[in-house]
Amino acid sequence: MAKTILTVDDSGSLRQMLAFSLKEAGYGVIEAVNGQDGLDKAIKQKVDLVLTDQNMPVMDGLSLIKALRGLKNYQSVPILMLTTEAGADMKAQGKAAGANGWLVKPFDPARLTEVVKKLIG
Amino acid sequence: MVSSDMSSSEQLNVQVLNLLSGVSTHGDHHLAEVERDLVQMDGLLDEAIKKLCTSFMAINFAIAKQQEALDSMLKDGMSAPDYAARIEVIHGEISRHVGAAVTGLQFQDMTSQLIGRMVQQLTGLRDVFGELDANAPPLPESSNENLLEKLNGISDRVGARCNELSCDVRSAVKQRHMESGDIELF
Repeated sequence: MAKTILTVDDSGSLRQMLAFSLKEAGYGVIEAVNGQDGLDKAIKQKVDLVLTDQNMPVMDGLSLIKALRGLKNYQSVPILMLTTEAGADMKAQGKAAGANGWLVKPFDPARLTEVVKKLIG
Repeated sequence: MVSSDMSSSEQLNVQVLNLLSGVSTHGDHHLAEVERDLVQMDGLLDEAIKKLCTSFMAINFAIAKQQEALDSMLKDGMSAPDYAARIEVIHGEISRHVGAAVTGLQFQDMTSQLIGRMVQQLTGLRDVFGELDANAPPLPESSNENLLEKLNGISDRVGARCNELSCDVRSAVKQRHMESGDIELF
């Protein structure tokens, strides 16, 4: 059965490109438009990996990670940040919140799927 | 700074100059930020379009090669394993170019964030100018003391708006190129 990845980004075009790249690599994809939407969908269906943007309306990526790490089901699920933010300070905040990795946009589909494969096979 | 030793008309002059200078400084600062974002956006768009053009042309070329390979198999009797090997190479080329196109297409996400920031800067500036406009009509009929008080009030509100604007508008996009970004696993 295909592993499922939750992608959380307020940009529709970015979600579309993530879905295209991840589906090409054989993963199932669930999309969410902001952190709150991502949290709701993650609770509704357990996913194998979460890929989230940082700057989004309603709930940002760091808040989503903190909320997910507070859930029993998501304490060891890999969470990656995919954002334009590249500062060391933001990365440190991401790490402290419980992120497993930090990817700076724009992403290259081959490198992204390589990282995902490394984390969930 | 307005000294208490000055006459009210001198204080008024100083306050008017301070206000104009403050508005000019803040206006310059925020417009310079907008200019910086526009230059950054222009660079990103330029690189993205070049990347997309290159990818689309390369994909078109690879599809033509695929057709040639098919023709070779049908007309010249190319063996099935040779055909499969050629198609596999072409498929790899297409995937690489599609990947480059996907990277290039992400300009929309980055430029959208830059445009959002510019809109915030311009809205903030409109609010700053709005503070001046909202207090303009009563000024000519007032005494120097009243005018000074009003100008002090306007200066404070303009200063507060400018400070709010500076705090709110942080740039999350530092990228100047459309090359794929760093990856760090913790």
